[in-house]
Amino acid sequence: MLKTYISIMRNATLAATLLWGGSALAQTTATGVINGTLINKDGISLIFNTDPAGVNLGAAGTSAASANFGAVSAFGPLSGGVTRPSVTAANFTVRTIFDVQVVQGGLTSTTYTLTANLAAAAPTGLSYKVDAVTLTTVAQTVQTNATYNVNVPHNLDLTVLRAAPGAGGPAVGTLITTTINFTATAN
Amino acid sequence: MKKLTLLTIFAALLMISSAAVAQTTASGTLTVTATVNGTISLVFNSDPSGVALSGTGTNAATLAFGTVQAFGGALTAGVTRVAGATSFTVSSPVDVFVDKANVASANYTLKAQLNAADAVNTWSVGGVPVTNAAAATITATGAYTSNVPETVALTIPFSTASGTNISNAINFTATAN
Repeated sequence: MLKTYISIMRNATLAATLLWGGSALAQTTATGVINGTLINKDGISLIFNTDPAGVNLGAAGTSAASANFGAVSAFGPLSGGVTRPSVTAANFTVRTIFDVQVVQGGLTSTTYTLTANLAAAAPTGLSYKVDAVTLTTVAQTVQTNATYNVNVPHNLDLTVLRAAPGAGGPAVGTLITTTINFTATAN
Repeated sequence: MKKLTLLTIFAALLMISSAAVAQTTASGTLTVTATVNGTISLVFNSDPSGVALSGTGTNAATLAFGTVQAFGGALTAGVTRVAGATSFTVSSPVDVFVDKANVASANYTLKAQLNAADAVNTWSVGGVPVTNAAAATITATGAYTSNVPETVALTIPFSTASGTNISNAINFTATAN
């Protein structure tokens, strides 16, 4: 009985040793295959960049930038990048330049059309132009056959009536904010 | 079978139609900000009855009386002379044009001051003596957007040596009322 017990224990110890050794030497591996599917979608993107001759845009390089003319007046000093191309008896115009860059991928289109509109009616006494187009809340074509992948400079004109506040002129001494929506459409 | 064919053709036509209508677009928003300030400006213009200014139409003009003497001789066009007992005065009207924008002001106050003290000669603008000590009010109700003639006068003592060059600047300031 004792012999039998000892024999069992020996065998058990041997088996345990073999198992331990086996687990130390064995390599656990697994294999798998991931099937990736790439769908190449065509599209275009639009960003605003600071023009060397214009004001420094806020959030330049994005599609939601800002252009600050700073303090503007008919006769006083202007911020860098802002010019005053005209002063008439009725109004004065200040101008800056900004760049629009439209990038396309996966399209056969070689040019695009740019439209712009005011997000809301212009504040009293002010009007906005992009190049030769006076902006309204209705989208208007600013440029056809524009080139992809390059900075295309555009003039942004702000025309201010010279009348006093309350007499048709704009509010003075307060920050006036206007949003212009731009849309580029592949031709 | 026929129905299936028709449905297939219909679906294909729909796909072609939507592909033809779809446009590839991108959009962006540019937020534009500005603060409008009210301002006025002052420029000098040549008065038809006075000396032709150099720098006319600017705010830094020059009035050259030329060679002046108490009696006789030729004076520059536009110069008027009056001789007194111990001195003589030469004068010329100069037009002051003050413009405004985005201000409710109805008129302006014009002041003038000599740039440098002059202990020998006497200066006046619009009949008001002008010195280096303090700005003198020329008018308190100047009209905007019109040429307002202001006579600039220089009184020179007889004791002044012949050939003496007289030069000074008069600083004008218009303030919206």
